[in-house]
Amino acid sequence: MKFKLLVAFVLLTIVTYGQQDSKQDSLRVLNRLGYNNPSKLTLGGYAQIDYNEPDGAAPGKLDVHRLVLLFGYKFSDKVSFLTEIELEHVKEVYVEQAFVNYSFSTAFNIRGGLMLVPMGYVNEYHEPPVFYGVERPGLDKYVVPTTWRELGIGATGNLQNLSMRYQAYIFNGFISYKDGEGTLRGVDGLRKGRQKGAESVIHNPNLSVKFDYYGILGLKVGLAGYFGETQSDDPSVEGSTVGVSMVGLNASYNLKNLDFRGQYIYSSLSGTEDYNNLTGKDLGSKMDGFYIEAAYDFMPLISKNSTKQLSLFSRYETYNTHAATAGDLEQNKAFDRQDITFGCDFKIAPGVAVKADYQWRTDAVEDSNRSNLFNAGVGVMF
Amino acid sequence: MKLIIYILAITSLLSTADIPKNYLKKIDKEVLLVFDLKAYEKVPVNIEASVLSEMSNDFDPDGFFKIMDNENHIGYFYFGKAPSKADEFDYVVIFDEALIIKKIKILAYREDYGGEISSKRWLRQFDGSDRDSTLNYGKDIIGISGATISAVSMCKEVNCLLKDLSKLPI
Repeated sequence: MKFKLLVAFVLLTIVTYGQQDSKQDSLRVLNRLGYNNPSKLTLGGYAQIDYNEPDGAAPGKLDVHRLVLLFGYKFSDKVSFLTEIELEHVKEVYVEQAFVNYSFSTAFNIRGGLMLVPMGYVNEYHEPPVFYGVERPGLDKYVVPTTWRELGIGATGNLQNLSMRYQAYIFNGFISYKDGEGTLRGVDGLRKGRQKGAESVIHNPNLSVKFDYYGILGLKVGLAGYFGETQSDDPSVEGSTVGVSMVGLNASYNLKNLDFRGQYIYSSLSGTEDYNNLTGKDLGSKMDGFYIEAAYDFMPLISKNSTKQLSLFSRYETYNTHAATAGDLEQNKAFDRQDITFGCDFKIAPGVAVKADYQWRTDAVEDSNRSNLFNAGVGVMF
Repeated sequence: MKLIIYILAITSLLSTADIPKNYLKKIDKEVLLVFDLKAYEKVPVNIEASVLSEMSNDFDPDGFFKIMDNENHIGYFYFGKAPSKADEFDYVVIFDEALIIKKIKILAYREDYGGEISSKRWLRQFDGSDRDSTLNYGKDIIGISGATISAVSMCKEVNCLLKDLSKLPI
């Protein structure tokens, strides 16, 4: 009996200590999260859940396309850290951004880490309620490989008197040759070369700059440039890298219920003939494309003081990842694509968009067999 | 007399202690510009506890000052902070003596996203709003693509400030 009592006492003591420990652990975690000073911590994120159905017999696809969790922590007025953790198609985990920012002033910040490459509109502003349509524009997938991020360091700031924001970074570049094989190809250009900060290889730093002007009410214009060379895990192999020069111009104009957007991207790749000969790939030497988009918010006509938005939009885009090829490589007309998208974005609350659209998709091939696509989905950001 | 001036100076320094020095310079510059003055005096506004209790928790009475030109009361300014996407920005709202907005200036914006709200033309949309105003983002205030969080935040901040100031018996 005494033994049982002793065992019970010991067990009770262990349980009680254990509970105290776990309570203290929780408090420690909460303190680390900024529980005692909530303004230091930012939690946010975005999500995109899609339904895509091609014309024809192919079945539709339902997908939690991406779920991204944002954490920001402000160590002081000058030093902050921001990261985004992405779950893509539920099962793939990536770090989308992770950088430390040191703010000297509004006009001058130094930052380093895994950052978005500023090119065009959607690569930087890729949260689903921010762009029209269920899927991102094709130009921002095949020519600008959104979400394009690499490790780097640079300066950024807002020049308030000039109404201009600038960004200038030195980034790690795309990897074009890995484990004895080429990674870049004609259908999507540089997309497969993104290193995304994962054990990335560097021997050629790349320069990225962007200027955004916002001095005219409702208008925003951005001019971006990216210049450098790709990386190879064996730089001694001749022809394993290509030179990359990309420029982008994007503009948006908001006039009452009307919203206009446009973007042009031009990308020139050098050394693709040697690269294709070495790897057997079909990488083009020039990629380009543009889109124009218009949207009209009908909600003010239905309910004047509503915080909801009901926008009908249309986008025309054309993009070609084989705008030119080098050497004997023939231009693949299937890579010269045109998409016309018409759809509806219903923002049921700021940050929550229910979307549906139809895409007429063709290419330059005679009797093109690219299927049209119906898309529907929900996009959230907070 | 010297003692009184000294005490007033110390009081004035203490009362603006929450506003960083470099911001005070910027605020002074804007106030002088808005009212076309060469010098002015800022005097803290004493708000009764009963009135303060009716205001939102976001209102910081230490950031609210009267603008005096010699003996004449010509306006007010309010120094505040508002959230951006993953940080916060600092701003000043300058009012005339009837608490009608004359100018808003972003004093510090610390992150890339949303910095467009510091555009003078965009901020000018708030000018003329008074304590009875409620501004609707996207309608009264034109949206900025890519800066929605900060632009909405600024709009909410101004609406909240105007509502708080409507409690003042002025």
